[in-house]
Amino acid sequence: MKAQKSKLAANSSGQLLIVTALVIAILISSTAAYIYELGMETNNTPTQSISNFVLALKASTRNAVISSLVNVSNGGEKTTLAANLNELSQLFASIRNIGFCNLNFTVPNDAQYDSGTRISWNTNTGVSSAYVNFALSVYGIAENVTVNYAINITTATTIGGYFIKTEGDGKLVNLTCKVYNEGKPALAKNMSVFYENLGSWIPANASNNLSMVDYGDGTYAISFTADVPSETVHVLVKVYDMRDIFVQAEAFCNEF
Amino acid sequence: MKRQNVGQIRILEAFLAVLIIFSAFAVSANLTITRSNMESDDLASVGLQALMQLDSDGGLSKLIDEEDWVGLRETLSLTLPAGTSFNMTVYDEQMQQVNPTLISNGALIGQKTAFVEYVCVSRKPLFRCYVIHLQLAVAK
Repeated sequence: MKAQKSKLAANSSGQLLIVTALVIAILISSTAAYIYELGMETNNTPTQSISNFVLALKASTRNAVISSLVNVSNGGEKTTLAANLNELSQLFASIRNIGFCNLNFTVPNDAQYDSGTRISWNTNTGVSSAYVNFALSVYGIAENVTVNYAINITTATTIGGYFIKTEGDGKLVNLTCKVYNEGKPALAKNMSVFYENLGSWIPANASNNLSMVDYGDGTYAISFTADVPSETVHVLVKVYDMRDIFVQAEAFCNEF
Repeated sequence: MKRQNVGQIRILEAFLAVLIIFSAFAVSANLTITRSNMESDDLASVGLQALMQLDSDGGLSKLIDEEDWVGLRETLSLTLPAGTSFNMTVYDEQMQQVNPTLISNGALIGQKTAFVEYVCVSRKPLFRCYVIHLQLAVAK
């Protein structure tokens, strides 16, 4: 009986070998298939491609808004923003890399914004801003994507200060100027200071012992001397931020 | 006779077992090849992100505005991963080629190739748009 059993086991060992090999093969194949599927999930390329494409188009619209604000803040027409965006929209429509692109936009016209731009250069605060609402649609082969977003580009400056009397009409004026991009401290590319004397703006320069200290966090300490007979010193600071957006603000300085 | 055949059958069975296991490996290898074919899309994504990175502070359009093609080539070479070769062509809005010389870091040699189209907008007050065609290749 025992001999018969061992004979049977010996006869079927080959089949067992095949079955074991089959099991191992299934394990290898299923592991490979699982890893492949996992890779497919994490690298869902059509979605990634179209999302990257949309991001690239959004970056272009942002640069278009910046370019328009640079133009308007330097004296350009307020309609420049809409004109530039129309031009960009036409260019987007001609792109066929991933699919058909359609860019729609609306520029606000309200108490603050005129044709999407706001130039508000006042006492102590100056703001140059552009605001646009976009609807970007990309009709791809695999899928369609529509993104609604708003772009707000704002350069602002705040100015405050005082003066200390020196000799005669001489005054040592100390100002603190802060620059902001989209509400966050930002560096200025260029800054010029003027003071009012007998109804005309005089640029403060080396002859006025002009000194500017950049604190590196968007704060600038400015000091200069001026011979001004009036009891207050009316100053004007013109700022170009790193994007070349222009903003200016005035301040009335009193004696410290 | 039967006893003599048992050895041969064992050998045949062993061969069959080996064949089954190797067929599993063959299937797995094929799956991996299919996966690597999709990497050309990843290469395009790398190219697009490199251009976006350069354009994030307006640097890309500045180089084009200033027609600094050597600077553009060097900057792109530094931004793209090592071993990536590229050919770049810059067009204006009327799709007229802007760059008179080839912006390239060598011949496009590689098994993986990708094409990227990017719209670059200048931040200068005078509104200008450029369409960038970037061809990428990387050796496997």
